[in-house]
Amino acid sequence: MTTEHNPNQDGNQNTHFGFKTVAENEKAKKVGEVFHSVASKYDLMNDVMSAGLHRGWKRFAIEISGIKAGDKVLDIAGGSGDLSKLFAKKVGADGQVILTDINASMLAVGRDRMLDAGLSVPALQCDAEKLPFPDNHFDCVIVAFGLRNMTHKDKALAEMQRVLKVGGRLLVLEFSKVWQPLSKIYDVYSFKLLPFMGKILAKDAESYQYLAESIRMHPDQETLKQMMTDAGLSKVDYYNLAAGVVALHKGYKT
Amino acid sequence: MLKALSTRLLQHLISQNSWASNLLQPHAGKSLQINVSFISASLVILENGNLAMAGETNVADAKVTIPPSLLLRLLAKDEAANRQINIEGDTQLVAELAKVFSNMRWDYEDDLSNIIGDVPANKIGTYARDAANSVKETSVNLAEMLSEYWQEEMPLIAKKRHVEQFNAEVDTLGADVARFEKKLAKLTKSIKANLDNGLLKN
Repeated sequence: MTTEHNPNQDGNQNTHFGFKTVAENEKAKKVGEVFHSVASKYDLMNDVMSAGLHRGWKRFAIEISGIKAGDKVLDIAGGSGDLSKLFAKKVGADGQVILTDINASMLAVGRDRMLDAGLSVPALQCDAEKLPFPDNHFDCVIVAFGLRNMTHKDKALAEMQRVLKVGGRLLVLEFSKVWQPLSKIYDVYSFKLLPFMGKILAKDAESYQYLAESIRMHPDQETLKQMMTDAGLSKVDYYNLAAGVVALHKGYKT
Repeated sequence: MLKALSTRLLQHLISQNSWASNLLQPHAGKSLQINVSFISASLVILENGNLAMAGETNVADAKVTIPPSLLLRLLAKDEAANRQINIEGDTQLVAELAKVFSNMRWDYEDDLSNIIGDVPANKIGTYARDAANSVKETSVNLAEMLSEYWQEEMPLIAKKRHVEQFNAEVDTLGADVARFEKKLAKLTKSIKANLDNGLLKN
């Protein structure tokens, strides 16, 4: 894998934004613009893009989390709040779910949906690389389809590990490396069909072009497993879903 | 997707047998690999006492290997066969899971009632049970009749006590051979040592 962060002419670090290279301090802003643009139709597009499979992947993540009544859960980059909603039902009145996202537009969609569903889930706008929570606080931390948009994935993973209790679990649901024989079809789908659907449904082809590119730049299953181990998590294991289009990684704080 | 479906099925069964999650909870995070011939499956215990299929790179805490030759004996509930299952690693975990699987029941009537309602589900359940009992009784009668004929009138099959005696003798022979091999190895070693020390001549 190539180095994710390289110095530019001004001596600042560069990182990737899809297939483009941008200054590190610009990535968060650019990602913010993408999600601000797609926020209102994010779930509809997810349904169309994954043929509804993303709901099944999220439910599987909940099943694997081992969450029980009374647990504390942190949903990072939770955006439209679909995971938080499912977690809130699992942990019950004695437990707690906190929904966070760096993007105000996405968070507003999630917060409103929680309220509409009659759930009182705190929604916090915060950066996953600087989580405003004490050490050893949560039983489970989950980040679904958010890690690839983070500038410093290593810092974010270390922060998630810090806020977990001993015995707590970190779950990362993210696009990953598809099974090799399907890679050509997947390429055509991502780079031709996906931006076209983005243009028709969300009237924003560029944002969906970024989504496709960012998926390709994201670490594969084994690399992410190693990154989680480096962040201090143990017994890291992963599940390939839909032939590796998506992978669910799980690691423990010990 | 198979893992996701199997996990959902396991968790559904555990939710119907809620006593099982209390038994499994103390073993949260541990995993078990079951090998039967060329088929292998790994299970992991979750923090809420649920079961799930393990991921792609799971390292099992215990391994259970069942030789294909034991399968029929296990299905026939032969207690001697249980002792020949090869268990490596955390034996307490294996014992707990064996307890869970042997006592777990699928409440299909409850599942059916969610789709078609309580009364029809109960009726279908009663018919299914009656039909199953009737098939079971008929099969047992037929099997008993045939086995009696083949054992007494035209001896083609062995009697149960003879098979059990034969199995016990095979087990004893296996244990004797193992002991003999160890004694032989020990004797060979001591002869070799004596030869090396010049106490014996070639």
